[in-house]
Amino acid sequence: MIVCVLIPRFALLAALGDRRALLSEPVALAPEAGREQFVGEVSAPAEAFGIVAGMRVGEALSRCPELRLEPPDPEGVRGLWHEVLDRVEGIGAAPESERAGAAFFDADGLQGLHGGDLDGVLAATRRTLGRGSRLGAAACRFAAHCAARESRPRRPPVVVAEADTARFLAPLPAGLLRTRPELAALPDVLERLGIRTLGEMAALPSRAVAERFGHPGLLALDLSRGRDTPLAPRRPPEPVSERIDLPEATSGQQLERALELLIARVLARRERRGRSLRALAVSARFVAGGTWRCAVTLRHASADPRRIGLALGPKLAELPAPAESLGLEVEAFGPPATDQGRLLDDGGAERRVRLGEAVRQARQAAGPGAAMRVLDVDPDSRLPERRSVLAPFPTDPLG
Amino acid sequence: MSAADTKRLGAPRPIRVRAGARGFPAAVGGVAVEAVREDWVVEDRWWTGRPVRRRYFELVLADGRDVTVFCELSRKRWFAQRA
Repeated sequence: MIVCVLIPRFALLAALGDRRALLSEPVALAPEAGREQFVGEVSAPAEAFGIVAGMRVGEALSRCPELRLEPPDPEGVRGLWHEVLDRVEGIGAAPESERAGAAFFDADGLQGLHGGDLDGVLAATRRTLGRGSRLGAAACRFAAHCAARESRPRRPPVVVAEADTARFLAPLPAGLLRTRPELAALPDVLERLGIRTLGEMAALPSRAVAERFGHPGLLALDLSRGRDTPLAPRRPPEPVSERIDLPEATSGQQLERALELLIARVLARRERRGRSLRALAVSARFVAGGTWRCAVTLRHASADPRRIGLALGPKLAELPAPAESLGLEVEAFGPPATDQGRLLDDGGAERRVRLGEAVRQARQAAGPGAAMRVLDVDPDSRLPERRSVLAPFPTDPLG
Repeated sequence: MSAADTKRLGAPRPIRVRAGARGFPAAVGGVAVEAVREDWVVEDRWWTGRPVRRRYFELVLADGRDVTVFCELSRKRWFAQRA
């Protein structure tokens, strides 16, 4: 059986932090800075005004002039959701989660750990996540998701037996197919064709669906008949991240310096264990509230700070507002960075390799603070302590 | 190596200063001030919730040292700094 953990309005909850009392008022997540002007998740009172996530800001405000727009916090959402997934993993589960607020795991292997049946697994999940989460269980991911939507936070979880899956899904609205991103546009078309429930969808002949809708149609047909693709649990994360405060650094050069410093710090982390970096995410917290995050996958995994800087540098230009802090997180590691020979003779490269080796030896002998370099962060600042920092001296000149 | 290994250069250090007339330093760390070479005010970050207001003094002490100190105007605390 697949268990679904659903926490509605998770992004809004994360953005509100300890001001959750505001959920009793019309509140919506403002558009992310620099993105299209659509509202994000909305509170129940806002829904009562007919406001839904994805609605244009202008339309939302015309429906409810008192609507409070809360700056989104993608960094906070990510951190909070990782905590939730860590808790789910804490009961022995291997969760899959494509978006914050919904996670799935297979309960079959866990029953022995929690009393021998599904109820024990659900009770353990409820204990670890608290009463605010909705739980549902069914034979496949989609049906479990529908079950969790039907459940209520303080009521027992909705469990759908495998034999009852088709019967459970049949009366539910076809709009639930939107929960799969690849089917987001399909329910509107189905509605125009008069297909309003999953049962009506499931009754269509496969051949006709394939001809009319192609692969998305066949996926929708499978889901409405209670079949889904296998779960792909997340890989255990290896969080390596660094953050730097930017009291005044709002201009391009200062941001580039801060990024350079962050790259040096990340490359100096022990957890890297000599591996190259495959994917990174640059994030920022804005002075005016809210956060921004941009993931970058390197074409070639590298541990060369110059090359990483070239890949990440242009992203700084996309920052839509003055930032008070800049962060860098490793999302995926590549293979170990190896010292390959150069095709052309390069005396400078050899000297850098020797220098790197000397730095490593100095650190080995005298500790990690033995080899540092002065990095000008904001050389023109009127406050002397903001002009320069001592940063780790890079030891991997070749990447 | 962690973020803690990154260190700001020129961070202010608290120091004992006896202020004299008009708020000018008369002694720094128990050593008398021989001359005030220069004084200036830095006001910064006034647009944030933590504005910076400092009055700097470049001093020559009786033992011959040249030091720069500042008084944090909001809390009347003294610091030495390599300016």
